Amino acid sequence: MSFWTVTTILADGFINTGKLFFLTLLGALPLGLLVCLASMSKWSPLAKLADSTSSKAMQWIAGFRPISAVMKFIVWIVRGSPLMIQILIVYYGPGLLFGLPLLPRFTAALLTFIINYACYFSEIYRGGIQSIPKGQYEAGEVLGMTSRQIFFKVTLLQLIKRIVPPMGNEFITLVKDTALVRVIAVYELIWMGESFIKKGMMWPLFYCAVFYLAATAILTFALDRFEKKLSYFN
Amino acid sequence: MALLEVKNLEKNFGETKVLRDINFTLEKGQTLAIIGSSGSGKTTLLRCLNLLETPDSGSIHVEDEVIFDPSLPAVTSAEAIRRKRLHFGLVFQNFNLFPQYTALQNVELARRLLAEERPDFKQNKKAIYAEIRENAEKLLTQVGLQNRMDRYPHQLSGGQQQRVAIARALALRPDILCFDEPTSALDPELTGEVLKVIRGLAEEKMTMVIVTHEMEFARAVADQVLFMDEGIVAEAGTPEEVFGNPKNPRTKQFLDKYKEM
Ligand SMILES: Nc1ncnc2c1ncn2[C@@H]1O[C@H](COP(=O)(O)OP(=O)(O)O)[C@@H](O)[C@H]1O
Ligand SMILES: [Mg+2]
Repeated sequence: MSFWTVTTILADGFINTGKLFFLTLLGALPLGLLVCLASMSKWSPLAKLADSTSSKAMQWIAGFRPISAVMKFIVWIVRGSPLMIQILIVYYGPGLLFGLPLLPRFTAALLTFIINYACYFSEIYRGGIQSIPKGQYEAGEVLGMTSRQIFFKVTLLQLIKRIVPPMGNEFITLVKDTALVRVIAVYELIWMGESFIKKGMMWPLFYCAVFYLAATAILTFALDRFEKKLSYFN
Repeated sequence: MALLEVKNLEKNFGETKVLRDINFTLEKGQTLAIIGSSGSGKTTLLRCLNLLETPDSGSIHVEDEVIFDPSLPAVTSAEAIRRKRLHFGLVFQNFNLFPQYTALQNVELARRLLAEERPDFKQNKKAIYAEIRENAEKLLTQVGLQNRMDRYPHQLSGGQQQRVAIARALALRPDILCFDEPTSALDPELTGEVLKVIRGLAEEKMTMVIVTHEMEFARAVADQVLFMDEGIVAEAGTPEEVFGNPKNPRTKQFLDKYKEM
Protein backbone atom coordinates (compact mmCIF):
# COMPACT_ATOMS: atom_id res chain seq x y z
CA MET A 1 0.00 0.00 0.00
CA SER A 2 1.41 3.34 -0.98
CA PHE A 3 2.31 6.15 1.38
CA TRP A 4 -0.33 8.28 -0.30
CA THR A 5 -3.12 5.74 0.23
CA VAL A 6 -2.21 5.40 3.91
CA THR A 7 -2.21 9.18 4.23
CA THR A 8 -5.71 9.52 2.79
CA ILE A 9 -7.05 6.74 5.02
CA LEU A 10 -5.49 8.31 8.12
CA ALA A 11 -6.75 11.73 7.08
CA ASP A 12 -10.20 10.25 6.99
CA GLY A 13 -9.82 9.16 10.63
CA PHE A 14 -8.33 12.53 11.45
CA ILE A 15 -11.53 14.26 10.31
CA ASN A 16 -13.38 12.39 13.04
CA THR A 17 -10.71 13.40 15.55
CA GLY A 18 -11.18 17.02 14.46
CA LYS A 19 -14.94 16.71 14.79
CA LEU A 20 -14.56 15.38 18.32
CA PHE A 21 -12.16 18.23 19.12
CA PHE A 22 -14.37 21.07 17.88
CA LEU A 23 -17.65 19.65 19.16
CA THR A 24 -16.08 19.14 22.59
CA LEU A 25 -15.02 22.80 22.69
CA LEU A 26 -18.43 23.91 21.45
CA GLY A 27 -20.09 22.07 24.33
CA ALA A 28 -17.49 22.37 27.09
CA LEU A 29 -16.70 26.08 26.84
CA PRO A 30 -20.26 27.23 27.71
CA LEU A 31 -20.98 24.27 30.01
CA GLY A 32 -17.75 25.01 31.87
CA LEU A 33 -18.92 28.56 32.48
CA LEU A 34 -22.20 27.27 33.92
CA VAL A 35 -20.32 24.81 36.14
CA CYS A 36 -18.05 27.64 37.26
CA LEU A 37 -20.95 29.94 38.15
CA ALA A 38 -22.70 27.10 39.98
CA SER A 39 -19.58 26.22 41.95
CA MET A 40 -19.26 29.88 42.94
CA SER A 41 -22.93 30.08 43.95
CA LYS A 42 -23.40 31.61 47.39
CA TRP A 43 -26.93 30.28 47.82
CA SER A 44 -27.29 29.00 51.37
CA PRO A 45 -30.91 28.10 52.19
CA LEU A 46 -30.18 27.70 55.89
CA ALA A 47 -28.48 31.08 56.37
CA LYS A 48 -31.28 32.24 58.71
CA LEU A 49 -30.20 29.67 61.29
CA ALA A 50 -27.06 31.69 61.93
CA ASP A 51 -29.02 34.51 63.59
CA SER A 52 -30.67 32.31 66.17
CA THR A 53 -27.66 30.44 67.47
CA SER A 54 -24.04 30.87 68.39
CA SER A 55 -23.00 27.22 68.37
CA LYS A 56 -20.10 26.49 66.03
CA ALA A 57 -21.78 23.44 64.49
CA MET A 58 -24.97 25.35 63.70
CA GLN A 59 -22.94 28.21 62.22
CA TRP A 60 -21.27 25.70 59.94
CA ILE A 61 -24.60 24.24 58.86
CA ALA A 62 -26.01 27.73 58.28
CA GLY A 63 -23.10 28.56 56.00
CA PHE A 64 -23.63 25.44 53.89
CA ARG A 65 -23.92 26.18 50.15
CA PRO A 66 -25.53 23.13 48.54
CA ILE A 67 -25.19 24.08 44.85
CA SER A 68 -21.59 25.03 45.25
CA ALA A 69 -20.83 21.91 47.31
CA VAL A 70 -22.44 19.51 44.83
CA MET A 71 -20.66 21.16 41.89
CA LYS A 72 -17.30 21.10 43.62
CA PHE A 73 -17.81 17.41 44.40
CA ILE A 74 -18.62 16.58 40.78
CA VAL A 75 -15.63 18.57 39.54
CA TRP A 76 -13.43 16.76 42.04
CA ILE A 77 -14.59 13.33 40.82
CA VAL A 78 -14.25 14.19 37.15
CA ARG A 79 -10.83 15.78 37.47
CA GLY A 80 -9.57 13.11 39.83
CA SER A 81 -10.33 10.03 37.75
CA PRO A 82 -8.93 8.82 34.41
CA LEU A 83 -10.73 10.07 31.31
CA MET A 84 -10.47 6.61 29.77
CA ILE A 85 -12.51 5.08 32.58
CA GLN A 86 -15.07 7.88 32.25
CA ILE A 87 -15.47 7.02 28.56
CA LEU A 88 -16.07 3.37 29.43
CA ILE A 89 -18.56 4.28 32.17
CA VAL A 90 -20.59 6.57 29.90
CA TYR A 91 -20.60 4.00 27.09
CA TYR A 92 -21.26 0.79 29.04
CA GLY A 93 -22.62 2.11 32.34
CA PRO A 94 -26.25 2.85 31.38
CA GLY A 95 -26.58 -0.61 29.82
CA LEU A 96 -24.96 -2.50 32.70
CA LEU A 97 -26.81 -0.61 35.42
CA PHE A 98 -30.25 -0.03 33.90
CA GLY A 99 -30.34 -2.25 30.83
CA LEU A 100 -30.58 0.80 28.56
CA PRO A 101 -29.51 0.51 24.91
CA LEU A 102 -25.95 1.64 24.16
CA LEU A 103 -25.41 5.19 22.94
CA PRO A 104 -23.76 5.53 19.53
CA ARG A 105 -20.00 5.32 20.12
CA PHE A 106 -19.18 8.81 18.90
CA THR A 107 -22.03 10.34 20.96
CA ALA A 108 -20.86 8.59 24.13
CA ALA A 109 -17.29 9.74 23.53
CA LEU A 110 -18.38 13.32 22.84
CA LEU A 111 -20.61 13.43 25.91
CA THR A 112 -17.77 12.24 28.14
CA PHE A 113 -15.35 14.75 26.67
CA ILE A 114 -17.77 17.64 27.08
CA ILE A 115 -18.40 16.81 30.75
CA ASN A 116 -14.75 16.15 31.48
CA TYR A 117 -13.46 19.29 29.78
CA ALA A 118 -16.26 21.44 31.20
CA CYS A 119 -14.95 20.57 34.66
CA TYR A 120 -11.38 21.57 33.75
CA PHE A 121 -12.59 24.75 32.05
CA SER A 122 -14.74 25.66 35.05
CA GLU A 123 -11.64 25.81 37.21
CA ILE A 124 -9.89 28.01 34.67
CA TYR A 125 -12.86 30.36 34.52
CA ARG A 126 -12.98 30.45 38.30
CA GLY A 127 -9.29 31.27 38.56
CA GLY A 128 -9.76 34.03 35.98
CA ILE A 129 -12.77 35.56 37.67
CA GLN A 130 -11.15 35.48 41.07
CA SER A 131 -7.95 37.03 39.77
CA ILE A 132 -9.67 40.23 38.67
CA PRO A 133 -9.07 42.78 41.42
CA LYS A 134 -12.15 43.87 43.36
CA GLY A 135 -11.10 47.43 42.66
CA GLN A 136 -12.02 47.03 38.98
CA TYR A 137 -15.64 46.30 39.88
CA GLU A 138 -15.71 49.05 42.48
CA ALA A 139 -14.23 51.62 40.10
CA GLY A 140 -17.02 50.74 37.66
CA GLU A 141 -19.70 50.94 40.32
CA VAL A 142 -18.51 54.31 41.59
CA LEU A 143 -18.62 55.58 37.99
CA GLY A 144 -22.31 54.70 37.83
CA MET A 145 -22.01 51.63 35.63
CA THR A 146 -24.52 48.79 35.79
CA SER A 147 -23.22 45.31 36.60
CA ARG A 148 -23.82 44.38 32.96
CA GLN A 149 -21.73 47.28 31.76
CA ILE A 150 -18.99 46.44 34.24
CA PHE A 151 -18.91 42.86 33.00
CA PHE A 152 -18.87 43.64 29.30
CA LYS A 153 -16.88 46.89 29.26
CA VAL A 154 -14.46 46.40 32.14
CA THR A 155 -13.84 42.83 33.25
CA LEU A 156 -14.58 40.60 30.24
CA LEU A 157 -11.48 41.45 28.22
CA GLN A 158 -9.27 41.19 31.31
CA LEU A 159 -10.83 37.81 32.01
CA ILE A 160 -10.21 36.58 28.46
CA LYS A 161 -6.62 37.73 28.64
CA ARG A 162 -6.09 35.75 31.82
CA ILE A 163 -7.76 32.54 30.70
CA VAL A 164 -6.29 32.28 27.22
CA PRO A 165 -2.93 30.76 28.25
CA PRO A 166 -4.34 28.03 30.54
CA MET A 167 -7.20 27.35 28.09
CA GLY A 168 -4.63 26.96 25.32
CA ASN A 169 -2.85 24.29 27.32
CA GLU A 170 -6.12 22.42 27.72
CA PHE A 171 -6.85 22.68 23.99
CA ILE A 172 -3.51 21.06 23.23
CA THR A 173 -4.15 18.32 25.76
CA LEU A 174 -7.57 17.77 24.21
CA VAL A 175 -6.06 17.18 20.77
CA LYS A 176 -4.05 14.31 22.22
CA ASP A 177 -6.81 13.05 24.55
CA THR A 178 -9.03 12.35 21.56
CA ALA A 179 -6.88 9.24 21.01
CA LEU A 180 -8.44 7.76 24.16
CA VAL A 181 -11.83 7.21 22.51
CA ARG A 182 -10.18 4.31 20.75
CA VAL A 183 -11.18 2.21 23.83
CA ILE A 184 -14.75 2.15 22.59
CA ALA A 185 -13.69 1.82 18.97
CA VAL A 186 -14.65 5.22 17.63
CA TYR A 187 -13.21 5.49 14.13
CA GLU A 188 -10.71 8.25 14.70
CA LEU A 189 -7.07 8.65 13.78
CA ILE A 190 -5.54 6.08 16.17
CA TRP A 191 -8.15 3.47 15.36
CA MET A 192 -7.36 3.87 11.67
CA GLY A 193 -3.62 3.69 12.40
CA GLU A 194 -4.05 0.50 14.39
CA SER A 195 -6.16 -1.13 11.69
CA PHE A 196 -3.01 -1.35 9.52
CA ILE A 197 -1.33 -3.63 12.06
CA LYS A 198 -3.65 -6.44 11.05
CA LYS A 199 -2.28 -6.04 7.54
CA GLY A 200 1.23 -6.35 8.90
CA MET A 201 2.07 -2.64 8.71
CA MET A 202 3.40 -0.97 11.86
CA TRP A 203 4.58 2.36 10.49
CA PRO A 204 1.14 3.95 9.81
CA LEU A 205 0.46 3.95 13.55
CA PHE A 206 3.63 5.95 14.18
CA TYR A 207 2.81 8.15 11.24
CA CYS A 208 -0.33 9.19 13.16
CA ALA A 209 1.87 11.20 15.52
CA VAL A 210 2.67 13.55 12.62
CA PHE A 211 -1.02 14.45 12.35
CA TYR A 212 -1.22 15.29 16.06
CA LEU A 213 2.00 17.28 15.84
CA ALA A 214 0.69 19.24 12.88
CA ALA A 215 -2.58 19.95 14.68
CA THR A 216 -0.91 21.09 17.91
CA ALA A 217 1.57 23.21 15.94
CA ILE A 218 -1.24 25.08 14.18
CA LEU A 219 -3.11 25.46 17.44
CA THR A 220 -0.05 26.76 19.28
CA PHE A 221 0.58 29.27 16.51
CA ALA A 222 -3.01 30.52 16.58
CA LEU A 223 -3.06 30.81 20.36
CA ASP A 224 0.24 32.71 20.34
CA ARG A 225 -1.16 35.17 17.83
CA PHE A 226 -4.23 35.69 19.98
CA GLU A 227 -2.16 36.19 23.13
CA LYS A 228 -0.02 38.76 21.34
CA LYS A 229 -3.17 40.61 20.29
CA LEU A 230 -4.06 41.01 23.95
CA SER A 231 -0.57 41.96 25.08
CA TYR A 232 -1.13 45.68 24.61
CA PHE A 233 -2.29 45.96 28.21
CA ASN A 234 -1.36 44.40 31.52
CA MET B 1 -27.96 74.56 53.92
CA ALA B 2 -25.04 72.16 53.81
CA LEU B 3 -24.37 70.25 50.60
CA LEU B 4 -23.50 67.05 52.47
CA GLU B 5 -24.98 66.03 55.78
CA VAL B 6 -23.96 62.84 57.59
CA LYS B 7 -25.87 61.97 60.76
CA ASN B 8 -25.25 59.26 63.38
CA LEU B 9 -23.63 57.00 60.83
CA GLU B 10 -22.77 53.52 62.11
CA LYS B 11 -21.12 50.57 60.41
CA ASN B 12 -20.23 47.17 61.80
CA PHE B 13 -18.34 44.31 60.23
CA GLY B 14 -19.66 41.36 62.22
CA GLU B 15 -18.79 42.13 65.83
CA THR B 16 -16.40 44.98 65.00
CA LYS B 17 -17.88 48.46 65.28
CA VAL B 18 -15.96 50.22 62.56
CA LEU B 19 -17.90 53.50 62.49
CA ARG B 20 -19.74 54.85 65.53
CA ASP B 21 -21.98 57.89 65.57
CA ILE B 22 -20.28 59.82 62.76
CA ASN B 23 -21.71 63.33 62.30
CA PHE B 24 -20.54 66.12 60.04
CA THR B 25 -21.69 68.56 57.40
CA LEU B 26 -19.89 69.96 54.41
CA GLU B 27 -20.70 73.22 52.62
CA LYS B 28 -20.61 73.52 48.87
CA GLY B 29 -17.15 74.41 47.60
CA GLN B 30 -15.39 73.40 50.78
CA THR B 31 -12.73 70.78 51.39
CA LEU B 32 -12.88 68.37 54.28
CA ALA B 33 -9.71 66.55 55.28
CA ILE B 34 -10.01 63.33 57.27
CA ILE B 35 -6.97 62.23 59.23
CA GLY B 36 -6.40 59.38 61.66
CA SER B 37 -4.31 56.31 62.15
CA SER B 38 -4.64 53.20 60.05
CA GLY B 39 -7.70 51.14 60.95
CA SER B 40 -9.65 54.09 62.36
CA GLY B 41 -12.41 53.71 59.74
CA LYS B 42 -11.54 56.42 57.19
CA THR B 43 -11.80 54.18 54.15
CA THR B 44 -15.03 52.64 55.42
CA LEU B 45 -16.53 56.13 55.82
CA LEU B 46 -15.71 57.03 52.20
CA ARG B 47 -17.05 53.68 51.03
CA CYS B 48 -20.31 54.34 52.88
CA LEU B 49 -20.65 57.72 51.18
CA ASN B 50 -20.15 56.04 47.80
CA LEU B 51 -22.55 53.24 48.75
CA LEU B 52 -19.89 50.60 48.28
CA GLU B 53 -20.83 49.63 51.85
CA THR B 54 -24.30 49.82 53.32
CA PRO B 55 -24.28 51.61 56.68
CA ASP B 56 -26.08 49.90 59.57
CA SER B 57 -27.79 53.07 60.74
CA GLY B 58 -27.70 56.83 60.42
CA SER B 59 -28.32 58.91 57.34
CA ILE B 60 -26.56 60.58 54.44
CA HIS B 61 -28.12 63.50 52.58
CA VAL B 62 -26.87 65.51 49.61
CA GLU B 63 -28.83 68.74 49.52
CA ASP B 64 -32.46 67.58 49.63
CA GLU B 65 -31.82 64.11 48.32
CA VAL B 66 -31.66 61.15 50.64
CA ILE B 67 -28.60 59.08 49.80
CA PHE B 68 -29.11 56.72 52.68
CA ASP B 69 -31.74 56.62 55.43
CA PRO B 70 -32.99 53.30 56.83
CA SER B 71 -35.99 55.00 58.50
CA LEU B 72 -37.48 55.69 55.07
CA PRO B 73 -38.87 52.98 52.81
CA ALA B 74 -35.82 51.16 51.53
CA VAL B 75 -34.37 52.25 48.18
CA THR B 76 -32.50 49.09 47.46
CA SER B 77 -32.94 48.67 43.72
CA ALA B 78 -29.59 48.53 41.98
CA GLU B 79 -30.84 51.27 39.68
CA ALA B 80 -31.64 53.67 42.54
CA ILE B 81 -28.29 53.03 44.19
CA ARG B 82 -26.52 53.63 40.89
CA ARG B 83 -28.26 56.99 40.48
CA LYS B 84 -27.48 58.10 44.01
CA ARG B 85 -23.84 57.16 43.63
CA LEU B 86 -23.45 59.72 40.88
CA HIS B 87 -23.52 62.50 43.49
CA PHE B 88 -20.13 61.25 44.61
CA GLY B 89 -16.86 60.50 42.90
CA LEU B 90 -14.14 58.37 44.45
CA VAL B 91 -10.43 58.35 43.77
CA PHE B 92 -8.87 55.15 45.08
CA GLN B 93 -5.55 54.69 46.80
CA ASN B 94 -4.36 52.34 44.05
CA PHE B 95 -6.01 54.17 41.12
CA ASN B 96 -8.00 51.21 39.74
CA LEU B 97 -7.71 52.44 36.16
CA PHE B 98 -9.07 50.09 33.51
CA PRO B 99 -5.90 48.54 32.03
CA GLN B 100 -7.30 47.82 28.56
CA TYR B 101 -8.22 51.44 27.89
CA THR B 102 -6.02 54.44 27.17
CA ALA B 103 -6.00 57.40 29.53
CA LEU B 104 -8.50 59.15 27.28
CA GLN B 105 -10.77 56.10 27.04
CA ASN B 106 -10.66 55.67 30.81
CA VAL B 107 -11.95 59.21 31.22
CA GLU B 108 -14.60 58.85 28.50
CA LEU B 109 -15.99 55.40 29.26
CA ALA B 110 -18.51 56.08 32.03
CA ARG B 111 -19.93 59.15 30.31
CA ARG B 112 -20.29 57.35 27.03
CA LEU B 113 -22.23 54.60 28.79
CA LEU B 114 -24.43 57.09 30.62
CA ALA B 115 -25.06 58.94 27.37
CA GLU B 116 -26.68 55.80 25.96
CA GLU B 117 -29.53 56.38 28.39
CA ARG B 118 -30.33 59.82 26.95
CA PRO B 119 -33.52 59.95 24.88
CA ASP B 120 -31.76 61.85 22.09
CA PHE B 121 -28.78 59.46 22.02
CA LYS B 122 -29.65 57.81 18.71
CA GLN B 123 -30.09 61.02 16.75
CA ASN B 124 -27.20 62.93 18.31
CA LYS B 125 -24.70 60.15 18.92
CA LYS B 126 -21.89 61.85 17.00
CA ALA B 127 -22.33 65.19 18.68
CA ILE B 128 -22.66 63.61 22.11
CA TYR B 129 -19.49 61.57 21.71
CA ALA B 130 -17.65 64.61 20.37
CA GLU B 131 -18.68 66.62 23.40
CA ILE B 132 -17.53 63.81 25.71
CA ARG B 133 -14.21 63.62 23.87
CA GLU B 134 -13.68 67.35 24.14
CA ASN B 135 -14.49 67.30 27.82
CA ALA B 136 -12.14 64.36 28.49
CA GLU B 137 -9.31 66.11 26.66
CA LYS B 138 -9.94 69.24 28.66
CA LEU B 139 -9.81 67.31 31.94
CA LEU B 140 -6.61 65.47 31.02
CA THR B 141 -5.06 68.80 30.09
CA GLN B 142 -6.20 70.20 33.41
CA VAL B 143 -4.31 67.42 35.25
CA GLY B 144 -1.24 68.00 33.06
CA LEU B 145 -1.50 64.94 30.84
CA GLN B 146 -2.20 66.53 27.47
CA ASN B 147 0.77 64.61 26.05
CA ARG B 148 -0.16 61.26 27.55
CA MET B 149 -3.79 60.83 26.50
CA ASP B 150 -3.19 57.82 24.29
CA ARG B 151 -1.03 55.91 26.75
CA TYR B 152 -2.27 52.80 28.48
CA PRO B 153 -2.14 52.78 32.29
CA HIS B 154 0.88 50.47 32.39
CA GLN B 155 2.79 53.00 30.31
CA LEU B 156 2.24 55.73 32.90
CA SER B 157 3.94 56.43 36.23
CA GLY B 158 1.93 56.07 39.44
CA GLY B 159 1.51 59.83 39.71
CA GLN B 160 0.28 60.04 36.14
CA GLN B 161 -2.12 57.14 36.68
CA GLN B 162 -3.57 58.82 39.73
CA ARG B 163 -4.06 62.04 37.76
CA VAL B 164 -5.92 60.09 35.08
CA ALA B 165 -8.07 58.60 37.85
CA ILE B 166 -8.87 62.10 39.09
CA ALA B 167 -9.83 63.21 35.57
CA ARG B 168 -11.97 60.08 35.22
CA ALA B 169 -13.85 60.88 38.42
CA LEU B 170 -14.28 64.54 37.41
CA ALA B 171 -15.74 63.55 34.02
CA LEU B 172 -19.04 62.64 35.67
CA ARG B 173 -19.23 66.03 37.39
CA PRO B 174 -19.88 64.68 40.88
CA ASP B 175 -21.18 67.05 43.54
CA ILE B 176 -18.60 65.75 45.97
CA LEU B 177 -15.28 64.17 45.09
CA CYS B 178 -13.76 61.79 47.64
CA PHE B 179 -10.09 60.80 47.79
CA ASP B 180 -8.85 57.80 49.75
CA GLU B 181 -5.19 58.43 50.52
CA PRO B 182 -4.53 59.44 46.91
CA THR B 183 -0.76 59.59 47.33
CA SER B 184 -0.13 56.65 49.68
CA ALA B 185 0.73 54.22 46.90
CA LEU B 186 3.14 56.66 45.25
CA ASP B 187 6.89 57.12 45.49
CA PRO B 188 7.60 60.28 47.51
CA GLU B 189 8.86 62.20 44.47
CA LEU B 190 5.53 61.65 42.70
CA THR B 191 3.17 62.83 45.45
CA GLY B 192 3.72 66.50 44.64
CA GLU B 193 2.19 66.36 41.15
CA VAL B 194 -0.98 64.73 42.48
CA LEU B 195 -1.33 67.08 45.45
CA LYS B 196 -0.90 70.02 43.09
CA VAL B 197 -3.88 68.84 41.02
CA ILE B 198 -6.04 68.44 44.14
CA ARG B 199 -4.97 71.87 45.35
CA GLY B 200 -6.04 73.27 41.99
CA LEU B 201 -9.47 71.69 42.43
CA ALA B 202 -9.77 73.25 45.89
CA GLU B 203 -9.02 76.65 44.38
CA GLU B 204 -11.76 76.08 41.83
CA LYS B 205 -14.13 75.35 44.71
CA MET B 206 -14.72 71.70 44.03
CA THR B 207 -16.40 70.15 47.08
CA MET B 208 -14.05 67.43 48.36
CA VAL B 209 -13.55 64.89 51.12
CA ILE B 210 -9.89 63.92 51.33
CA VAL B 211 -8.52 61.13 53.48
CA THR B 212 -4.81 61.81 53.73
CA HIS B 213 -1.64 61.34 55.72
CA GLU B 214 -0.09 64.46 54.18
CA MET B 215 -0.55 66.74 57.18
CA GLU B 216 0.96 69.88 55.69
CA PHE B 217 -1.19 69.48 52.63
CA ALA B 218 -4.34 68.96 54.72
CA ARG B 219 -3.54 72.01 56.78
CA ALA B 220 -2.97 74.16 53.71
CA VAL B 221 -5.92 73.02 51.61
CA ALA B 222 -8.74 71.97 53.96
CA ASP B 223 -11.49 74.20 55.26
CA GLN B 224 -12.41 71.60 57.85
CA VAL B 225 -10.55 68.72 59.44
CA LEU B 226 -11.88 65.54 61.08
CA PHE B 227 -9.63 63.44 63.23
CA MET B 228 -10.91 59.87 63.40
CA ASP B 229 -9.93 57.47 66.13
CA GLU B 230 -11.23 53.91 66.49
CA GLY B 231 -14.37 54.59 64.51
CA ILE B 232 -15.43 57.89 66.07
CA VAL B 233 -14.82 61.52 65.17
CA ALA B 234 -12.47 62.34 68.01
CA GLU B 235 -11.96 65.93 66.98
CA ALA B 236 -13.31 68.28 64.33
CA GLY B 237 -12.63 71.88 63.44
CA THR B 238 -10.74 74.24 61.21
CA PRO B 239 -7.15 73.31 60.34
CA GLU B 240 -5.94 75.97 62.76
CA GLU B 241 -7.95 74.44 65.59
CA VAL B 242 -7.12 70.79 64.94
CA PHE B 243 -3.47 71.17 63.95
CA GLY B 244 -2.61 74.31 65.92
CA ASN B 245 -4.46 73.68 69.13
CA PRO B 246 -5.76 70.10 69.41
CA LYS B 247 -8.04 69.59 72.41
CA ASN B 248 -8.20 65.81 72.47
CA PRO B 249 -5.02 64.17 73.83
CA ARG B 250 -5.40 61.44 71.16
CA THR B 251 -5.19 64.07 68.43
CA LYS B 252 -2.07 65.52 70.02
CA GLN B 253 -0.50 62.09 70.24
CA PHE B 254 -1.32 61.34 66.60
CA LEU B 255 0.01 64.68 65.32
CA ASP B 256 3.20 64.37 67.38
CA LYS B 257 3.93 61.08 65.69
CA TYR B 258 3.86 62.88 62.32
CA LYS B 259 6.08 65.71 63.51
CA GLU B 260 8.76 63.22 64.44
CA MET B 261 8.84 61.82 60.92
N1 LIG C 1 -14.73 44.30 54.55
C1 LIG C 1 -14.33 44.27 55.83
N2 LIG C 1 -14.62 43.22 56.62
C2 LIG C 1 -14.24 43.20 57.91
N3 LIG C 1 -13.56 44.18 58.51
C3 LIG C 1 -13.24 45.25 57.78
C4 LIG C 1 -13.60 45.36 56.39
N4 LIG C 1 -13.15 46.55 55.93
C5 LIG C 1 -12.54 47.14 56.96
N5 LIG C 1 -12.58 46.39 58.07
C6 LIG C 1 -12.05 46.75 59.39
O1 LIG C 1 -12.56 48.00 59.72
C7 LIG C 1 -11.58 48.79 60.38
C8 LIG C 1 -11.44 50.12 59.69
O2 LIG C 1 -10.88 49.91 58.43
P1 LIG C 1 -10.65 51.08 57.39
O3 LIG C 1 -11.93 51.78 57.17
O4 LIG C 1 -9.99 50.49 56.21
O5 LIG C 1 -9.65 52.03 58.16
P2 LIG C 1 -8.63 53.12 57.62
O6 LIG C 1 -8.98 53.43 56.21
O7 LIG C 1 -8.78 54.28 58.54
O8 LIG C 1 -7.26 52.52 57.74
C9 LIG C 1 -10.33 47.96 60.43
O9 LIG C 1 -10.25 47.38 61.70
C10 LIG C 1 -10.55 46.92 59.37
O10 LIG C 1 -9.88 45.74 59.71
MG1 LIG D 1 -7.79 53.26 54.49
